[in-house]
Amino acid sequence: MIETRCYVIALHDNGRVAEETYETAAFARRYVAADPCVVVLSGGGEIEPLAGRLADRTGLTVIGLAGDIVREYCAEAYTASLISFLRKKGNAFVCIPHTARGIDFAPQLSVGIGACCITAVEGAGEGTFIRSVYSGRFRSEVRPETPSAVLTVMPGAFKPEKGAMQGPGSVKIVPLRAFELSTKTRGTREAVHANMTLSRAEVVVSAGRGLGSAENLRLVEMLSGIFPKSAIGATRGVCDLGWLDYSHQIGTTGNTVAPRLYLACGISGAVQHVSGMKNSQLIVAINTDPDASIFRTAHFGIVEDLKVFIPLLVDMYREKHGDGDA
Amino acid sequence: MKILVCVKQVYDSPDTLVFNESSGRVEFGSHTVFRMNRYDEYAVEEALRIRERITGVAVDAVSVGPDRVRKTIRRALEMGADHGIHIRTGCETDLDPLERAHLIASLARGRRYDLILTGVMAEDDMQSQVGGLLAGILGFTCATGIISLEMHGNPREILLEREIEGGRRECLTLGFPCVLTIQSGINTPRYPSLSHVLRARSEELELIEAPSPAPSPPLLSVKRFLLPEEGEKGEIITGTPGEKAARLLSILREHSLL
Ligand SMILES: Cc1cc2nc3c(=O)[nH]c(=O)nc-3n(C[C@H](O)[C@H](O)[C@H](O)COP(=O)(O)OP(=O)(O)OC[C@H]3O[C@@H](n4cnc5c(N)ncnc54)[C@H](O)[C@@H]3O)c2cc1C
Repeated sequence: MIETRCYVIALHDNGRVAEETYETAAFARRYVAADPCVVVLSGGGEIEPLAGRLADRTGLTVIGLAGDIVREYCAEAYTASLISFLRKKGNAFVCIPHTARGIDFAPQLSVGIGACCITAVEGAGEGTFIRSVYSGRFRSEVRPETPSAVLTVMPGAFKPEKGAMQGPGSVKIVPLRAFELSTKTRGTREAVHANMTLSRAEVVVSAGRGLGSAENLRLVEMLSGIFPKSAIGATRGVCDLGWLDYSHQIGTTGNTVAPRLYLACGISGAVQHVSGMKNSQLIVAINTDPDASIFRTAHFGIVEDLKVFIPLLVDMYREKHGDGDA
Repeated sequence: MKILVCVKQVYDSPDTLVFNESSGRVEFGSHTVFRMNRYDEYAVEEALRIRERITGVAVDAVSVGPDRVRKTIRRALEMGADHGIHIRTGCETDLDPLERAHLIASLARGRRYDLILTGVMAEDDMQSQVGGLLAGILGFTCATGIISLEMHGNPREILLEREIEGGRRECLTLGFPCVLTIQSGINTPRYPSLSHVLRARSEELELIEAPSPAPSPPLLSVKRFLLPEEGEKGEIITGTPGEKAARLLSILREHSLL
């Protein structure tokens, strides 16, 4: 525990607090300070219910920064408002969920308050923080050398605490000063790539860059063909290469699936991919690299070249079952 | 309009890295080859596309690091960037993002860039910070994870979409100057054309020596590197390929999947 002043920045969307906020609060309490404050930013109408809900669930003091400029999420408005709020508070650790929005303003905020910035924190030691590096091959343990720090906390790395232990926390609403923004927010668009076939499938056979070429997709199709109710998934890497449409993408910025079987073929196991499939009931990975991260997620791992192994597997299955007998 | 694209050199494949048990550091192996961070390729491509749509755009590419990063700056020139800048550091090991951002900011300050592009994340340190830090230091606005970018005519602003969880998109408009971090998939990075490759070969890179030691001490220190946490490791199926296939089929049958 570092025992410093600590603020947890709450993130929310459409009136709902992001679950990662509660994970970040639990992290802050465990490793930074026993009684962090939660800070939530929103427009006048929404701020009280949001702050109230946060105070109920965390039992922590909640400060609501209220103003029209943060009615919608906007990095520029969040950064400036938080800097002017935090500058008056002296040294502090600021904990933010490592989501697309959290990471959008955390670095600028750190510059503004003279803090160091550590992103994607997934563990902690004695005054140190642990994060993955080198494509997830290693972790590094880093120590802030400044009395102030901005930390972004990896989703899923820490469990939220179950309910407030000490009853609801107090709520204080502070009005924000309005100022001219260079940003105009224009709302959100729903994902164009949502894929019902994927989410309904009992078996998802997924392709990674390890396929080597678009032609080798036929191997994945062949493997998928031996299962009833199966669908083909992919990593972002495969979609970026144009081998498959983005509707097949699984992961943080794609679809989330939890089939009975997930077969990962030539996939390294990046966190952004794993977060979209880790709740699958049975995970099997085929990869040539025995140290690939995916083997830490998989229940069963096969270290083989998929170009050799998939045809072998499918042939062996067909021999036993007769072609088309699935 | 002046655009600066920040490109980082990373190892091609993480399985060539070695963990030095005695020093607790991760080192490049003898087989390590280097290339441009993939996300930065999308940033270079996007800068070039802006130059193709709008007249009077110049694209500079900058990289911070030891001499080997010159190859990555050249790659940006081969793709079509106008000018390459190398901020040379003595050390082989990676700087922290803030040191890197300060070096780039001190270059950018005098040159009045309207737009600075980076990739959304570096594949090696996975920090996703340099863009935001640059914006903070220079007082630019910033948007991250850009998956769509539009600019028309004589632009005063840029129409953007940022990618957020589940593939949803946040739409916004930004004025200049600004920093954007580019998400993969926004475009398809081009392969260098022969004419650009030839031109890049004769092009001098601008060399700037990073001050040593750095003007301000780093705000954090790396204590050590660790191997990944040993989770509940699954079973690695062993044997000949045939034995592995047979075992996998029987596991799938036990789970009533076949
Ligand atoms: C903001 C952000 C959001 C992201 N969102 C997502 C997302 O939603 N989904 C997603 O998937 N990624 C996402 N990513 C990208 C992610 O970080 C990884 O880059 C990506 O998942 C890697 O894809 P891959 O495993 O196919 O490729 P690689 O990492 O290149 O892995 C290829 C693997 O194939 C293996 N291999 C090679 N040849 C063979 C062979 N012959 N047989 C068997 N194995 C072989 C290699 O050992 C390697 O492990 C995101 C990144 C960012 C920065």
